[in-house]
Amino acid sequence: MRRAIVTCLLLLGAACGGESATPGDTLRVGLVTPGSVADAAWNAGAFAGLEQLRDSLLVDISHVEARTPAEQEEALRSYAAQGYAIVFGHGFEFQQPAERVAAEFPNTVFAITSGQRVAGQVVPIVFRIHEATYLLGRMAGALTRTNTIGFLGGMELPPIVLGLRGWEEGARAENPAVDSRVTWLNSFDDAAAGKEATLAMLRLGVDQVHHNADAAALGAFSAVRETPGVLIYGANANQASLAPDRVAASAVIDLPRAMLLLTREVLAGEFVPKVESFGLESDVVRFELNDRMRDTLSTALVQRVMLARDSIIKGLLVVAGTPAP
Amino acid sequence: MNTTVVSRRAAVPDLVLTLGAFLLGLALLLAFLSVAGFDAAAGLAALWRGAFGSRYALLSATLVPAAPLLLLGLAFALAARAGALNIGMEGQFAMGAIGATWVGLAVGGWSPLLAIPAVLAAGLVAGAAWIVVPVVLRWRFGVTEVISTLLLNFVAEAAVSWAVTGPLQEASRSYPQSDPIAMSARLPRLLPPDRVHLGFVVALAIAAVLWVILARHRLGFVWRAVGASPRAATVTGRLPVERVAATVLLLSGALAGLGGAIEVSGVSAALYQNLSPGYGFTAIAVALLGRLHPAGIVVAAILFGALQAGAGAMQRDAGIPAVAVHVVQAVVILVMLLATRRRG
Repeated sequence: MRRAIVTCLLLLGAACGGESATPGDTLRVGLVTPGSVADAAWNAGAFAGLEQLRDSLLVDISHVEARTPAEQEEALRSYAAQGYAIVFGHGFEFQQPAERVAAEFPNTVFAITSGQRVAGQVVPIVFRIHEATYLLGRMAGALTRTNTIGFLGGMELPPIVLGLRGWEEGARAENPAVDSRVTWLNSFDDAAAGKEATLAMLRLGVDQVHHNADAAALGAFSAVRETPGVLIYGANANQASLAPDRVAASAVIDLPRAMLLLTREVLAGEFVPKVESFGLESDVVRFELNDRMRDTLSTALVQRVMLARDSIIKGLLVVAGTPAP
Repeated sequence: MNTTVVSRRAAVPDLVLTLGAFLLGLALLLAFLSVAGFDAAAGLAALWRGAFGSRYALLSATLVPAAPLLLLGLAFALAARAGALNIGMEGQFAMGAIGATWVGLAVGGWSPLLAIPAVLAAGLVAGAAWIVVPVVLRWRFGVTEVISTLLLNFVAEAAVSWAVTGPLQEASRSYPQSDPIAMSARLPRLLPPDRVHLGFVVALAIAAVLWVILARHRLGFVWRAVGASPRAATVTGRLPVERVAATVLLLSGALAGLGGAIEVSGVSAALYQNLSPGYGFTAIAVALLGRLHPAGIVVAAILFGALQAGAGAMQRDAGIPAVAVHVVQAVVILVMLLATRRRG
């Protein structure tokens, strides 16, 4: 009993100590997501990033889910009005509301994931995902036996189209004769539709599958697991665990790291509004092989891909991300 | 006017009962938050601050969502008082938003005195047009409007998706949204910098007109008589039951479409896929809570607007996750409906 009391007192002391160590002007960071942070994908990544900011930079954090344009503008405005230093708007749809709000709050930085342009303190965070999907494409182009690769997209949004172009460009670099199939689901959460679309592509001879469809792509993994001889390539996170013997590699976006880099700049007083663009060089966008599959891949191929990766980082190889002729 | 049942329903609704239900909902909410392990007092304080705690909270956060809820609540009540159930307000709202955006993009050179009425009229027409099919189905084939209006919601949702990726897509043709509508087509703010806009006054005016019609005008008497007992109305042979149903449904659709128009013209300034957080359904609760009386609906719409504003503040300032906030909203709605049910 006494020990319990002592522990309590110690905990209280620690709590108080923590209180006094953080002065009132702790940097505050807000996050507005367009959907639930329990989606294990787009929004979950942003929320994980927010928690990392709290843990590693000791900033105060806050999160709001806002699905409609009215709610989104309201959320951005409320954070700014309360003096938050940085507000992350997690999606292209926050660009216009952020621009409307930012004019009144010059002391708040609005960081818009996949945003479209710099406007005052509104800065877009842009991921050069095509640098990583190019490397996935290189592998797919070399590994396909049917000369047919497939891509499952959630919605035809510019960042996703860019990833698709990189994937196709990489495949053609290895194998000029490769044929690319693309399906747009118009959904990021319909896993059943994702599975049907993938099965349809497999019937057309696709044997290398890449996606960018968040939770809807879970259906693609399920389809690939059921079909022998087909490989799949993960997007946005290392998805090897979804099909350990079938995922060759993943194009990873380390959103927490991007949020960390940006917040550090603001903390250090070094922030200048510019397009916050992250590629392979920043380690925010990464190419990650599935370790369990490495033994089944030819060393020559892995070396070629890694060489291409180094060339991209050094700027010797530029992935255009433009439509194939 | 000695039809006691009808005239009693038109009396000023029992405000005390409505507010009591709201408070009971809040009490339950406190208990829920405590059980779920959150700081209930902090949550409730945040809810209050976010909804009514400051000039900004009231005039921006609360009244902005209250405006569409008020219009849609009136739309539901207007039809329901005459015995017709319009469950398709979400769809009519979406079509109104499409119509308003389409007109709003085209009126760049106009004076606001012309552009704004044009945009609002587009919403009214589009909303009414969207309910024509259910009206015809009921009139000609006796298909219940509950099903037909509900199903058209899904079609309207698809129509918005099509519009923002097709004819109304923004100039760069990249994102599923429209370009911003012309400045002249945007509703002015009542008390800048607060965001409450002219649409709220329009909604209040419509509530007043509806009150007068329902309580004083012959038309309102006919509607209420049909709503009180369609069968009795038919038997009298003097009340055109089906024509009344068609009229109120068309008016109801028009009001819901107007709701979509004021949301585009007053808030979002562009068409997006998820313009409504389910206003068309929340508004049914608003109308029932307001006991289908225009004045009661005004109060209920403001309370629901406050609930939405407070929900954001609970997440932001008290760290209560969105899921818990949704549960809270559902609890408050259920309690309010239960508490007002007996006399409704």
